[in-house]
Amino acid sequence: MNLGLELMAGGVRGGTSILYAGLGETVSERAGVVNLGIEGSMLCGALAAYAANAASGNPWIGALAGAAAGGALALVHAFFVLNRKTNQLATGLVILFLALGITSLFGAAYVDEIITPFTIWEVPLLSSIPWIGDIFFKADPLTYLSYFMVPLIWWVLFRTRWGLMLRGAGERTEVLRTYGHRPQALQYVAVVIGGLMAGIGGAQLSTAYANAWFENMVQGRGFIAVAVVIFAARQPFKVMAGSYLFGAALALSPALQARGVSINQFALNAVPYVATLLVLMLLARRGSDDAPEGLKKVFEMSPG
Amino acid sequence: MTATLSPPPAPTPTPQAVPEVAPRRGPNWRKIAIALGRTLVAVGGAIVIFGAFMQMKGANPIDAYRSMWESTLQSSDSIEQILVKATPLIFAALAVTVPARAGLVNVGGEGQLVMGGVGGAAVVQWLGTGLPIGLALPLMALGGIIGGALFAGIAALLKLKFDINEAVSTLLLNYVAVDVMLFLIYDAWKDPNGSGQPATAPVPTNEQLPLIGNSSVHLGFVLAIVATGLVWFALTRTSWGFKLSVVGGNPEAARQAGLKVGLLLLSAMLVGGALAGLGGFTQLAGVEHKLRPGYLLTYGYIGFLASWLARHHPIRVALAATLLAAIAVGGDSLQLDSALPAASVNVLMALVLLGVFGWGGKRKAVAA
Amino acid sequence: MRKRWFMLVAAAAMLMTSTVGAAAVSAATDAAPGQDSKAVGFIFVGPKDDFGYNQAAYQGSQAVQKAFPKLKVLTAENVPEDDSAARVMEGMIDRGAKIIFATSYGHLDAAEKVAKAHPDVAVVQQGNFIEGTITPNVGTFFGTVYEPVYLAGVAAGMATKSDKLGYVYAFPIPQTINNINAFELGAQSVNPKAKTYTVNTSSWCDPAAQAEATKSLLGQGVDVITQHQDCTSTVIKTTEAAGKMTVGYHADASKLAPKGWVAGSQWAWGDLYTDIVKTALAGDFTGSKYNANYRVGYKTGENPFVQSKFGSMITAKDKATIAADKKTISTDGSPFAGPVVAQDGKVIFAAGVVPTYAQIEATDVFVKGVVGDIPKS
Repeated sequence: MNLGLELMAGGVRGGTSILYAGLGETVSERAGVVNLGIEGSMLCGALAAYAANAASGNPWIGALAGAAAGGALALVHAFFVLNRKTNQLATGLVILFLALGITSLFGAAYVDEIITPFTIWEVPLLSSIPWIGDIFFKADPLTYLSYFMVPLIWWVLFRTRWGLMLRGAGERTEVLRTYGHRPQALQYVAVVIGGLMAGIGGAQLSTAYANAWFENMVQGRGFIAVAVVIFAARQPFKVMAGSYLFGAALALSPALQARGVSINQFALNAVPYVATLLVLMLLARRGSDDAPEGLKKVFEMSPG
Repeated sequence: MTATLSPPPAPTPTPQAVPEVAPRRGPNWRKIAIALGRTLVAVGGAIVIFGAFMQMKGANPIDAYRSMWESTLQSSDSIEQILVKATPLIFAALAVTVPARAGLVNVGGEGQLVMGGVGGAAVVQWLGTGLPIGLALPLMALGGIIGGALFAGIAALLKLKFDINEAVSTLLLNYVAVDVMLFLIYDAWKDPNGSGQPATAPVPTNEQLPLIGNSSVHLGFVLAIVATGLVWFALTRTSWGFKLSVVGGNPEAARQAGLKVGLLLLSAMLVGGALAGLGGFTQLAGVEHKLRPGYLLTYGYIGFLASWLARHHPIRVALAATLLAAIAVGGDSLQLDSALPAASVNVLMALVLLGVFGWGGKRKAVAA
Repeated sequence: MRKRWFMLVAAAAMLMTSTVGAAAVSAATDAAPGQDSKAVGFIFVGPKDDFGYNQAAYQGSQAVQKAFPKLKVLTAENVPEDDSAARVMEGMIDRGAKIIFATSYGHLDAAEKVAKAHPDVAVVQQGNFIEGTITPNVGTFFGTVYEPVYLAGVAAGMATKSDKLGYVYAFPIPQTINNINAFELGAQSVNPKAKTYTVNTSSWCDPAAQAEATKSLLGQGVDVITQHQDCTSTVIKTTEAAGKMTVGYHADASKLAPKGWVAGSQWAWGDLYTDIVKTALAGDFTGSKYNANYRVGYKTGENPFVQSKFGSMITAKDKATIAADKKTISTDGSPFAGPVVAQDGKVIFAAGVVPTYAQIEATDVFVKGVVGDIPKS
């Protein structure tokens, strides 16, 4: 397999869990709530999916459990930032530590369980298209599901009344209130959807991609998702592209090594982060930062 | 750059509006008692919930807490360990506190600590090991300060020139910092006599931070206390600190009042980065003596939480960092005495933080 | 405000003087290191149920518990390879442990620091190597696991159809380099065309990175994959799912690869741990073989590792070849018996040379036939 093809296929493989978390974070941020705890939701999702899979023998039940666990953790975040008005960044970090602890406490028992993982399913016809087939259509069912989630979330956010209100909750709370809506309820839903999606991302990691559960196995991919969302300016299709870009960057080092190419991988590992900063600089030049007003307040609050 | 800032959430602060600036009216004991009471209830709630967790995992919560208390706070060794662990945390927390005063969110303590270690190690790498201690340590400290400040400076410049939010850029730069360090210790700086381990050669004995008396606490702890005092003084007793809080309260008004907002923001970020860098240096010269993978991992984030826990008041921030260090050290007891998994302590820490964030201290005004 | 600041300083000063005073009291005793210890401590770098390296070490600690039921066995997992390891070991000493096992490669600095501060505590470190003088209460130990890895390499060389083997490893340190070299040399011994493709993941346990590394190797046409990771199941399951073959490490994971399992090497620390504890308890640690860089393998006997079972593709004749190789290694041979040539053609061990364990451990380059690169120092 040539390098370009392998990187793109690796980008989809490694990027899918990031894509789920990134889509979730997009919904959450569109409603004005940043959730750094998305990493924790992925961890909880990875464990719950693995455990439910081991118990039921059904990967879909596992994925549902993963989504539920990710959503439940996000609910904690939502409660604190929306009801108790705590700082979003600090609370998200705390949520992450909470998830690290909880998944370690309850996850140890599942390390040597054997599950029924999602398996690769090659789509007839499509998978035989040169390049495209190898990149997109030799994947696990959760990856295929993600292809539908991207346009779905875009449509909901930008083409439905509910999406308009959700974005309104992130932009102009007062206007919504004036019209008799409850922005906080919308924000709750958005944050929990974010957690559900991240939970599926975790499930993809543990029950499709790596086929294993280990403590702290998400290894920063949730933080990467937050970076991708910034990179993508909270646009679902750009989140998809950004996730695959990060996935490809993660695939670059092993792909080159397997070809015996001499590299210093640590310089390479930094590339996606530097690239994100460069993209942000370019966006700034074009003056196209369209962060929701509510988010700007989060990032630019005065100290407590 | 401030043209795109959102409208100010609060009215222009007068000196009276910033409590730390003019606290001379005497303490309001009733308010303090209420705040303290709320915090205690929040921490107590966390302790009860965590006790239930321990019960679920088959440990007796009463016994677990008792051994945690005895082994952590009644042993001089443990107290020393808390102070050792608190040292870089205090620096990491102050690195959040100073920019926060100017309304900046520095999530980059993690990377700035690492770059402080890299800066300190660079001095050892470039100037060799034969320097007298009186020269070596200040130079290494300077290296650490420059490393941390430069790295924070990148984020400040990105904000000023490109309007890239500093919370975002510092978060991303954390990864870059770790990769820079790994790049060096796997290659150019790898100890040739280190049996292949990815780590720098140890800082020679004559360039290490001296220990205090017979304890394992190094001079860096004293530096941390001094730094806390200086930050408190600078933020509350100097015109620079006052200007920072004006900028933090309302940058537009600050600009109209003739303050050089950009320069002030830059200085706050540089000072924050320098503090974290100094923390990275103290860990290198006082504790680890080597850079290695995982150097000061998660200290930056825990420091960030410490600063928020104490609402960016320097002295309370140092105490909060010490409290979090004590919880971490106490976590050893959960493993050794109660046979709980290592990560249990993360649950305890998270519950305490959530409790205090959500219910502790003064009742906050409902955010806009 | 100012008053409060002074109070804080005063409090800190009081705290410090009390600490310093207390520390001065704890003087060392004259007892031999570890003698009559009431407890023994083990620290692990990862979770004690990682289905790999740390789990094997943890099982060793439980064997010690079984052998000495009255001894309190203290275990601590997820102990980072930095100074916090020293803190955890100090905590164990506070709880009566005078014998401590630091079981990860990177725990050495902390182990030496603790040993220096407590002459009455025996501290042994698993896997690393102390350069220079070794003080009376410290030592390192390890099994020459590259010997069974060599044998597994022989099996892999027999099993491969593409003549391409794969190695997913964590970091380029002597342990991993020795294993990779031994694996390739073993394969070459029966299959001169065999090459070993290497990928490192820069982490002892990042399952998703392992999955990607495995896919990259499979993409190169590799058909037998082995690994040096702390947690091992992902590489095995991914290889099995692709219908390729796997060679295990650390633990017997043959149940994860019912079709593709070829061979493996796994730890069995119990007896060695127990003997180290016994030696120290009796007061005989100083000057013993454990008060050194102790290496144990097929040649010395009492090796702390065993070969995992073979897969169905390894025939009776193959097994006989491997058994013969094992016998050679156990007597006058070595996986690294010369000539051994580096990737760049330089001779590492000349023809006729049977290197010592220490010489092997000092190797810091890949042998010819390994595809991949070590970041140089």
